[in-house]
Amino acid sequence: MGIVNLLFKNRLVPNIEEIEVYEAHGGYVGLRRAAGMERQAVIDEIKASGLRGRGGAGFPTWIKWNGLPKNYDAPHYVICNADEGEPGTYKDRELMLKMAHTLVEGVILAGYATHSKKGYIYIRGEYVEVAWQVRKAIDQAYKKGYLGKNILGVEGFDFDCYIHLGAGSYECGEESALMSSLMGERGNPRLKFPHAPLPTVQGIWKAPTLVNNVESFCAATAVMTIGGEEYAKLGTEKSKGTKIMSVSGHVARPANYEIELGTPLLELLREAGGVTGGQLKAVIPGGSSVQIVPADRLDKINLDYESCGANGTLLGSGGFMVFNDRTDIVLLMKRTSEFYAHESCGKCTPCREGTRWLYKILDRITSGNGQPGDVELLLDVCSQIDGRSYCGLGDAACWPIVGAIKSFRPEFEYWIKNKRSPIGENALPPTPERVNPLLTLTAA
Amino acid sequence: MSPSNNLTERPREPKPAPDRERRFSAQSIAELEEIVTHYPERKAACLPALWIAQREYGGYLTTSAIQEVADYLGLSYAEVEGVATFYTMYNLRPRGRHHLEVCTCLTCAVLGAYDIVHKLEHELGVGIGQTTADGEFTLSEAECLNFCGAATVVQVGDRYFTHITSENVMGLIDELRRSENYTPAKLADAIVKILIPGSGESGGGSSDKEALQGAPGPML
Amino acid sequence: MSDNRLTQTEQSLNLPSEKRVKIKINGIQVEVPSGENIIEAARRVGTEIPFFCYHARLSKGDAANCRMCLVEVSTTAPDGTVRKMPKPQAACTMPAAEGMVIETETPALVKDRKGVLELLLINHPLDCPVCDRGGECPLQNNTLFYGPPTSRYIEEKRHFPKAYPLSEFVVFDRERCIHCARCTRFTEDISGDAQLGFLKRGADMEVGTFAQTSFISKFSGNVIELCPVGALLSRTYRFKARPWDLLTQRSICSQCSNGCNIKLDYRVNQLQRVNARLNEAVNEEWTCDKGKFGHEYVSSPERLQTPMHKRDGEWVAVDWTEAYRILVGRLKTSGVSVAGIGGAKATNEDNFAFQKLFRQVLRSPNLDHRMGRYQGPTNSLMHNRFGYHTMGNAIADLENMQTLLVLGADLQDEQPMLFLRIRKAWRFKSATVVYANDHATSETTNVSDFAAANLIYKPGSEIALLHGLLNVLITENLLPENPALDLTALKRSLVEWTPERTEQETGIPASEITVAARLLQHSPTAIIVGKTVTEHASYPDIVAALGNLVTLTGNIGNLNVPGLEVNSQGAADMGVLPDVGPGYVPTAETGMSTHQILESAADRMLQTLWIVGADVVNDYCDPELARRAVENCPFVVVNDLFMTDTARLADLILPIASVAEKDGTYTNCERRVQRIYRAFDLAPDIKPDWLIFTEVAAQMGGEANYFSARDILRDIGEKVPHYAGITPKTLGESGVRWNYPATEPKPAAIVPVTYTAPVRETLSV
Ligand SMILES: Cc1cc2nc3c(=O)[nH]c(=O)nc-3n(C[C@H](O)[C@H](O)[C@H](O)COP(=O)(O)O)c2cc1C
Ligand code: SF4
Ligand code: FES
Repeated sequence: MGIVNLLFKNRLVPNIEEIEVYEAHGGYVGLRRAAGMERQAVIDEIKASGLRGRGGAGFPTWIKWNGLPKNYDAPHYVICNADEGEPGTYKDRELMLKMAHTLVEGVILAGYATHSKKGYIYIRGEYVEVAWQVRKAIDQAYKKGYLGKNILGVEGFDFDCYIHLGAGSYECGEESALMSSLMGERGNPRLKFPHAPLPTVQGIWKAPTLVNNVESFCAATAVMTIGGEEYAKLGTEKSKGTKIMSVSGHVARPANYEIELGTPLLELLREAGGVTGGQLKAVIPGGSSVQIVPADRLDKINLDYESCGANGTLLGSGGFMVFNDRTDIVLLMKRTSEFYAHESCGKCTPCREGTRWLYKILDRITSGNGQPGDVELLLDVCSQIDGRSYCGLGDAACWPIVGAIKSFRPEFEYWIKNKRSPIGENALPPTPERVNPLLTLTAA
Repeated sequence: MSPSNNLTERPREPKPAPDRERRFSAQSIAELEEIVTHYPERKAACLPALWIAQREYGGYLTTSAIQEVADYLGLSYAEVEGVATFYTMYNLRPRGRHHLEVCTCLTCAVLGAYDIVHKLEHELGVGIGQTTADGEFTLSEAECLNFCGAATVVQVGDRYFTHITSENVMGLIDELRRSENYTPAKLADAIVKILIPGSGESGGGSSDKEALQGAPGPML
Repeated sequence: MSDNRLTQTEQSLNLPSEKRVKIKINGIQVEVPSGENIIEAARRVGTEIPFFCYHARLSKGDAANCRMCLVEVSTTAPDGTVRKMPKPQAACTMPAAEGMVIETETPALVKDRKGVLELLLINHPLDCPVCDRGGECPLQNNTLFYGPPTSRYIEEKRHFPKAYPLSEFVVFDRERCIHCARCTRFTEDISGDAQLGFLKRGADMEVGTFAQTSFISKFSGNVIELCPVGALLSRTYRFKARPWDLLTQRSICSQCSNGCNIKLDYRVNQLQRVNARLNEAVNEEWTCDKGKFGHEYVSSPERLQTPMHKRDGEWVAVDWTEAYRILVGRLKTSGVSVAGIGGAKATNEDNFAFQKLFRQVLRSPNLDHRMGRYQGPTNSLMHNRFGYHTMGNAIADLENMQTLLVLGADLQDEQPMLFLRIRKAWRFKSATVVYANDHATSETTNVSDFAAANLIYKPGSEIALLHGLLNVLITENLLPENPALDLTALKRSLVEWTPERTEQETGIPASEITVAARLLQHSPTAIIVGKTVTEHASYPDIVAALGNLVTLTGNIGNLNVPGLEVNSQGAADMGVLPDVGPGYVPTAETGMSTHQILESAADRMLQTLWIVGADVVNDYCDPELARRAVENCPFVVVNDLFMTDTARLADLILPIASVAEKDGTYTNCERRVQRIYRAFDLAPDIKPDWLIFTEVAAQMGGEANYFSARDILRDIGEKVPHYAGITPKTLGESGVRWNYPATEPKPAAIVPVTYTAPVRETLSV
């Protein structure tokens, strides 16, 4: 348990973003190995590794790969979800900035395994520096013949990889919205199974489509390099391998840490140098969408899907945010709800109206106009959104608030009763002196 | 949407359709046609085309810019406008030469992002969403820029500036005043280039990490 | 709830398969087509699931957004175990599958519905007292039945400018919009002009057009009825009435030959608005803007209200006794030198009485309803060859075609409902469309938008084009085997018509001609012909050439030359033609056609001219001739609603009833006989045409046994073979499409057609 640098093995090698260096350090070995195997064998290898999606949902990766129909004449597509938008997460950023080749390699071998001829890497528009690295990696891979026709001399192993840049929308990280965006539409989610076929059956342009997160593809590369069994040795019985945790907030050494799944939460916190600026108050282990955990419950949690789930939170995308005792949870939740209100795509009623309402209530409370019953109102509005919305964003907007009220209800009550923060004058985050935050945000 | 600013204009009759302006250079059209070949449908090039338009129209999208995109891709104006207004990085109003987007999402918020915002508001004399009189800076708040480990992050054009604090932010401002780079148009340009295969080597990317001496660079 | 006009459609567009599955809804076992959505499935067991965004004729892609229709779904695994889905599911997009168990009334769902409605209402202005939709508003209805009694929302509501004018017909109140995407889907799925779309996102999202510039569509009016709230409103009806103050009468649109079923909403003898009435066979539930907003004339103050007689240049109002005295006296003296024009806008009953008066009382065969010039004697040409005169297909058939060729028609204007069917065939049933015309159009609503091939040919070169197409079909032998046909002669005549040669004549690139021809090989193929052709000097030849095309591709029944006026078809059926009587029975002597009548009148050869509801001076294809005719004819009597230019030149004007003021039947372009009903009387001295003809007949000593339109319809049923058995009862709600009496099938034959390069003169037409 603890830090295990698998994807990050060569993180500190100088110029690792150059293909020669990458190859010198065991790059594209996984792809060569895969290309030497039956396509189905590659999928079995992934299955053996027990790899689960790193984008948040934690869905077994091999099932997706295996889900694409095996009639090879119809076009299949691979999409890499590099629209990293979950507040607190920045693992994909570093992976692409330094390990762009690992990602490209992963995408190519996914293409091989699923008989896809085209791959798109959907990178959020803000990640320009990152996108440059991926562009470079792709170009170099073409030069070396890892992309194009008859890759590595394998007859019929053709694969082209394109970059598609977003333009500022968190919702486009949701896989169906991402597909809309890729097809040149508004970033609205699309009908989900069973209302419509799975993306792996009918995705973009009605063709079978595989969507995976950056880290998932990188992990796939690792799996193919070291072998499925080897990879499965890492982690717990249900959560195999490693996970990159983006540690931020009130910690001494904020950074990306690659840990073996199952590592105790507090151990990671120790690795990151512990809390700064005061006593530890709470941790959000998996990005803003998951429930916040108060200090006293942290020792129970190991960083794997099951343990997090069992303790009323989620591993999510690994956005590990640490807060000290100057943090005012109500203000924090207000900021969180502002995020979701701003990012809601507006397609469905509960999310469009509800997220904005939640924000307005919390804004009212934190500007000293709270009323008795507001907490119940918050919970009830959440219950009207959670599970009723068209896609996961609605749910994601509710969980943190429900969780915060569960663990820190007194702070809400205090705000409503005394019209000020229980933390006092210099509570974090400070209340911005702004007229209408949402106006300014949408204006930007 | 604030109530006040919306009830103002109240046209009697629908406005006429925007005039068909043509600002795409031959090169832009070549780029667009290249990008179109990446997808089975022209429509899919809508986002890239809007980036090109944002570059060609000087950093923001006018109605005729949207019309031009619609015409090149064979879409209706409404469809393209729907896309342009959905994504926050398409500017529908002119921006300052440098667009300061201060991340005020969770981590940055608890690590002093609002102090930076206030500092800038006072130093530049503009509020959020406003542009300085000299057209140099536009100040905005950004949702999570996803580099929380390097909080506070400020995005300017195609570049993240990290570890910004209310102390060192004015240093950044001074550097930017002198800099030709990191403009909205340059951002659009970089994005378009990235979409074109083979442009990798030309790419500034993080190679211009140290471009701004003095100003703090990204943590890697 | 259930009778609000938004739920009027019964079957779903996402056509479910033949396979049937057993599902359980609220404990009731029912068998439904596999894949049918749960809202429709629930209707089968009489369960109403509330909704806003769902609409059976709109695509599912952007649906399921209002979340009003949530239900609880459990699935049965093959081993019989029933698993409940953790989240409630949107019924509107949930496809029925074997063993599905649906609950629609659980306490949880009751709460969910309250929740959705509360959320929908937090930003809704609730200005129902001044909202046109109030009283017929799904949002009001659903709130009444499922909503929370109060709101806990004390924050500020979203505000927008009210009543934003989107187009000359539609205003948009953004505050009321509930973002159901019905309007946006309509312009994408149905009208196809993609004029509406969502702007911005989240709670700021709004419907917009062209940065709020004009909403340019031929069908914009429909979104007013589609909108489940008062967000999209009619500018002509705005603030005019409360729905519950309106009386409604069933009627038929009088603007074109499609015969859309409509509802006339009226109040104190004034028409207030027109809404669509469901008729799956004709207009489904749509109208075009001409129909929806074009009926103002009915209540216009300009309407003529008494007979008028011209005395030395001055118009004098006279009563009917006087009018008849003048008219009858005149008719008595002019003997057979009398002719009648018009009827295309009048009912079958009017036309029947019209021709009866002429043939039996005045003994004159000179009457014709056609305004076109080249239609020759009747459409006998097509009839002799294929056994039908105008449309071989029913409107609804068109949506089942593989290929559709639209020749020389601005369909969206000439035949709006045919346009919608053809687009439906393309969008929902993947038909291919070939469009050919002698001019390109810049309309936003347009066949060429979705046509696989757009052939813009030089005016007058239709036949060349058709030869070219046939040439490709033959040389690439893409035609079905048909031993009965001897093609040698045809082949010989076509060899010269290579794509290249055709390109010279038509100006269409040879390659495009080849492509288009290849598309035509996929049967069934229907051909729709429009104005450009019917007003063409060589119209008969073009039809002959088209005849060859359908014969060779094996689509003999699929040639369509629809009439243009509301009752062109009926007037012909009733024998308002120079050479045939009711039911196309050839008459002993052949009278003069419209053109001949006008010519003889212009040459002062005609004593009396009776013009029935036709402004020939403007509408006839040769206005000059028409004007001279009316001027030179010693006595002209005009039946009309208005003081038209033609009426001005006449001697006697008789005010007639409009579509809203009389009973009767129209026959639309597909031969569907449909009823109109008298809604109100504008003024006491206005009479329907049939009454005028009958009364004149009486005064001329003829028999006058008609006391109502029904009497005439009964008579028609007896005298006109095609109309046998057609009575007000049998017509019912959606009319009856009459069929030609069965005759032994005509042997398919090829008619040689020679191409003559266009003569300038025809182009002026
Ligand atoms: C609102 C929302 C936002 C999401 N954002 C992201 C994201 O930024 N990056 C990502 O990889 N997955 C994101 N996801 C998860 C994706 O929908 C999808 O599960 C994931 O990309 C699948 O890849 P994986 O199987 O490799 O995890 C998001 C999901 C939701 C509901
Ligand atoms: S305007 Fe009406 S139809 Fe259109 S989205 Fe809004 S509520 Fe729906
Ligand atoms: S009717 Fe099903 S979600 Fe609107």
